Amino acid sequence: MIDLQLIEECRGGNFNNFRKLIELTSPFAYSVAFRMLGNEDQAKDVVQETMVTIWQKLKKIKTAEVYKTWIYRIVVNKCYDEMRKRKRNPEFIADEKTWELIANRISEGPSAALENRETSMVITILTERLSSKQKAVFVLSDLEGMSNDEISEITGISKSAVKANLYHARKSISEKVGKYL
Amino acid sequence: MKPENEKYNKVLNLLRVSEPTLDSTKEIEREVIKRITKINHFGLIFSEVIDFLFGWVYIGWVRRSLITASIVLILVFVYQQGIILKRIDVLSRQTVVIDKENTSSPTDEIEKLLMVYKNSGRRFPSKTITISESQMKELLESVNELQIKYKDLENLIEEDPELKKLIEKKLIEYNHTKINL
Repeated sequence: MIDLQLIEECRGGNFNNFRKLIELTSPFAYSVAFRMLGNEDQAKDVVQETMVTIWQKLKKIKTAEVYKTWIYRIVVNKCYDEMRKRKRNPEFIADEKTWELIANRISEGPSAALENRETSMVITILTERLSSKQKAVFVLSDLEGMSNDEISEITGISKSAVKANLYHARKSISEKVGKYL
Repeated sequence: MKPENEKYNKVLNLLRVSEPTLDSTKEIEREVIKRITKINHFGLIFSEVIDFLFGWVYIGWVRRSLITASIVLILVFVYQQGIILKRIDVLSRQTVVIDKENTSSPTDEIEKLLMVYKNSGRRFPSKTITISESQMKELLESVNELQIKYKDLENLIEEDPELKKLIEKKLIEYNHTKINL
């Protein structure tokens, strides 16, 4: 739990407290970045850049309640930048083995989990056709379990646009799953 | 539930269960602190250079002198602007003869009188009679035309003695005085 006291102390330029803030913030920032980008190294870079931005703009934060939303917004925007860069240098990783892996894991039961490397492949294969916004909305809603209001606030798009993007993302993934699995 | 949706839900559940794990929080922490320190170091150097170059403005008496000097400069500027505007106003009221040959020189007495009248009107605003340039031009043209016609008529009368006699007679009748043409 991140409290206002810790943020206040970080504002004063205390590195030790900021280390604590990094420790508390990095995991969920990494989770969103990794699920959106499907790449460990890029997700780590995004987390690093996010933390530097937080340090630079920490004074803008008025209450601890908005801190988490604010961080999500920074992460999502950094991921958009990363995706834009990737569009210039596209790389295709997914193949038939990934679908086999998904099928195997599903057959193992609901408690079966994927390793980071495997998750990366699955996310890449499922979301390769989605736009940046659709990816963001899908990750925040279906994987991070956020409400449409929260997603609207984080991504800066209207609630109806969130719903529309989510519908298209689900449809696209569902069609792929139905076709290959 | 459609088989497609069932598969979709299973894949989604698999992804939800497989939360990305960040194994190198310390590494990220180190990198972030390194970058922040670097930014802060550059910021510190910049502020030191600025302080060295312009730090003297924070000395009390220098600060006060600069404020006074700037106020004086502003006042001088305003005063100068006032004088310039006044001078422009005076100049705009004066008649400027640029080239004697290019300007129309009044040849006849009436034209001279009109010019004097025009100029005197400008010099003494209390006795000003407003007349436009075009009206003045029209007046001068009509005076010229009238003079030409008068000379033509004079010539005609001179050339024809009978006509001369007739006109003299008519004029005597009209004015009861003898007029020599």
